Amino acid sequence: MTKRLFLVPILLSVPLAAAAEDTLRVSAIPDESPTELQRKFTPLGAYLEKATGAKVSFVPVSDYAATVEGLAAKKLDLVWYGGFTFVQARRRTGTAIPLVQREEDAQFHSKFIVPANSKAKTLADLKGSTFAFGSVSSTSGHLMPRYFLLQNGIDPDKDFAKVAYSGAHDVTAKWVESGKVQAGVLNESVLEKLFEEKKLDKSKVRVLWTTPAYFDYNWTVRGDLDPKLVAKVKSAFLELDYSNPAHKTILDLQRTKRFIPTSPANYASIEQAAKSAGLLKD
Amino acid sequence: MPPLRPARFTARSSVPQAALATTWPPRPWLLRWPGLVVAVVVALAYVGSEGNVSALFSLEARKTLADFLRGFWPPAHDAAFLSQMVRPLFETVAIAVLGITLAMLLALPLSLLATSPVTWSPLADRPSTPARLAQAAARLVLNLMRSIPELIWALLFVRAVGIGPAAGVLAIGIGYAGVLGKVFAEVFESLPRQTAEGLAAAGASPLKVFVFGVLPGAMPILGSYALYRFDCALRASAVLGLVGAGGLGLQLELSLKMFDYHEVAAQVIALFLLVASVDQASRLIRRRLQHSRGLLRQSLPNRLIAAAIWIAACGASGAFLRFPLGELFSREAARSIWGFASAMFPPDLSRGFLAGLGPAVLETISISILGTAIAAVLGICLAYFVAYPSQREGAAVAPSAGLERRLMIAASWLARGALNLARTLPELLWALMFIFVVGLGPFAGALALGLHTAGVLGRLYAEVLEEVPEGPSLALRASGATGSATAWFATLPQALPQLIAYTLYRWEVNIRASAVMGVVGAGGLGKALLISLSLFQHHRSLTLIAVVIALVAAVDLLSGWLRSRIHKPASRGEESARRWNAPPAASATAW
Repeated sequence: MTKRLFLVPILLSVPLAAAAEDTLRVSAIPDESPTELQRKFTPLGAYLEKATGAKVSFVPVSDYAATVEGLAAKKLDLVWYGGFTFVQARRRTGTAIPLVQREEDAQFHSKFIVPANSKAKTLADLKGSTFAFGSVSSTSGHLMPRYFLLQNGIDPDKDFAKVAYSGAHDVTAKWVESGKVQAGVLNESVLEKLFEEKKLDKSKVRVLWTTPAYFDYNWTVRGDLDPKLVAKVKSAFLELDYSNPAHKTILDLQRTKRFIPTSPANYASIEQAAKSAGLLKD
Repeated sequence: MPPLRPARFTARSSVPQAALATTWPPRPWLLRWPGLVVAVVVALAYVGSEGNVSALFSLEARKTLADFLRGFWPPAHDAAFLSQMVRPLFETVAIAVLGITLAMLLALPLSLLATSPVTWSPLADRPSTPARLAQAAARLVLNLMRSIPELIWALLFVRAVGIGPAAGVLAIGIGYAGVLGKVFAEVFESLPRQTAEGLAAAGASPLKVFVFGVLPGAMPILGSYALYRFDCALRASAVLGLVGAGGLGLQLELSLKMFDYHEVAAQVIALFLLVASVDQASRLIRRRLQHSRGLLRQSLPNRLIAAAIWIAACGASGAFLRFPLGELFSREAARSIWGFASAMFPPDLSRGFLAGLGPAVLETISISILGTAIAAVLGICLAYFVAYPSQREGAAVAPSAGLERRLMIAASWLARGALNLARTLPELLWALMFIFVVGLGPFAGALALGLHTAGVLGRLYAEVLEEVPEGPSLALRASGATGSATAWFATLPQALPQLIAYTLYRWEVNIRASAVMGVVGAGGLGKALLISLSLFQHHRSLTLIAVVIALVAAVDLLSGWLRSRIHKPASRGEESARRWNAPPAASATAW
């Protein structure tokens, strides 16, 4: 039987799908559930395919760090990163190019939430409670909240009774709503969406504090992608127009009115915050 | 509490004096009051796991439990969700098939090297030094592969080769290769030597001695054990999805986190059915294998068919997963794996980091001890019910009335079902559920470990109880003892050494599970590893893995030492088993 098992590799030589013309393998950090990410992306993917002439496919990834690895290993071409994951990707590859971001992303905030019946009124009242961040690699769910907590004299690892990483913003919201944790922090855009779509009960959750503004999400491409394709992608995003009904659907799903260009310089402060919060080592 | 008497004491009266010539070293004081030591250790473990029994019975816990149970009626059954579940289910099976195949491919050569050279050169004076070195090296490699839990292998491979089923297959392949390799080597060593000695005396080379003298006898046991391990691989691959290595785990975790209990129930039921059916099928096959030991009794067509089916299964799995075989063996993949591995050296040995690990290590140990203790208590209670009918059957006094007998059998089947359910769901999935019942932290991990292990130990305990010689219990009943007195004073003391051996062996398995509980937030070292991998702090990851290996090795040694003090080895096979810290090969099939 052992000898016959050596035939297995030969039998399993599955021919790899040859990547012929331009293909764009797109992904996003899994800061919301996979079905939600897929739903947000589908019309955008169709639009990009028409605008660039490249075959567009969405590659769902279940882990933030894997999106960074994917770009570095040339398995992904275009990725929707948060600020921190972009900094990680840039450090890994040296050449990752941030193309565009939503106009909201230039002035992004995180919101600290507590259950409605919580007695906490200020950040300092959170000392000694159980706290939920989002994913370890999340900018709006971990890095910047941690940075601002430290700035306000609270060390999450020492001053909170328990620190949990929920993995996604909608999960953090659910945990706080049901009282499984005494406080949590998440992305303001996702919080507003959850309230709007009635997925989160406004009467059960209260916003305790909003952080100062910082740069967050962007669409980043691999540095060694064909420059013509990169230019087409960038202009495709910048041409999205809210007054055009077809584009309106796309932009509504992305929760913005337009995309603006961005550059690596905008993320220097994120990198700085990561180093001072202890999440990035030189 | 019945005194803890090892088997040698009960045999004293019937064994002639000469046989007792072997002097037994005096027991260290620690083992003189085992009950006290165990109680103290478990109490410490309870404190260390932040145990909180009131949390288990609090209003919050009961409400969550009610929500869970309500989810089962009805489980989510809309077409969209069910069709979404089909692919991960098949992925789980495919990953297990390919993983166990890879494990066998890796384990066979390694186990050959790790077998004592005496096995294939039984008439040689002394094994040659290169053979000895090869043996030591192979054993070391196998131990390393064994010591790192599959989930940690999966986390590493996800980083090294990317998200997807490939990482899962590699994780199961390498993790299980260690386990299989060790058991294979042990089986080779513990088989009767006559055939090998005969062939060697006739002048056969070591290779021929091995292939014709040792291998044929070993094949049914190896096949049987590998099939058993396939069961475990199936459960493991259901969990690997939690870290992105494909399978049902990811979907289940998401449903749990979003409190979608109907979806959770549907997936749990699907997983249970899957594992139960594979379990049954493999048990039937293993029983047939056990009854047909020997080269000639198994017909060639049967073995060809079996091999063909297995290869077809591998091929189908590979195609289904779109397994990137070419990519995995490419130079790029090798470079990325090498790059990842070398980025981890040197390990981060800064004092601050190591000091911070202390509490996590203690937590991990506490979870493993408390979990095993809970499992032992729960397991013996349920095992008693499972074994009850067969024990009572032996009672010549007052055969039970029809209704009572039917109740006993019903209770036995209920207990068996409960054990199966507890065993089917992997510890990590139980942990996810317990986190919502008692909150985040090590207590959830200990409870989950306790429940899952109770399923495993309960079945083993029941087998032991059923096989206890009935002489003493019959005698007690005949002299008028009640049922419970008989159980307590006749059945239990005879079974106790074996029960304790199984419990200690399971503790070794549990320390590995405890180390990864933190990945889902249930305390221990896993959380630190998840953070260091997410933040690409590879030096810290290496330190953490080294700590896990050291912890596992320490527990293995301690458990082996304790077991050796309880059992006196009866045969050479058991002697080598004792050296390898595992139960004798014969009972390996009972696992």
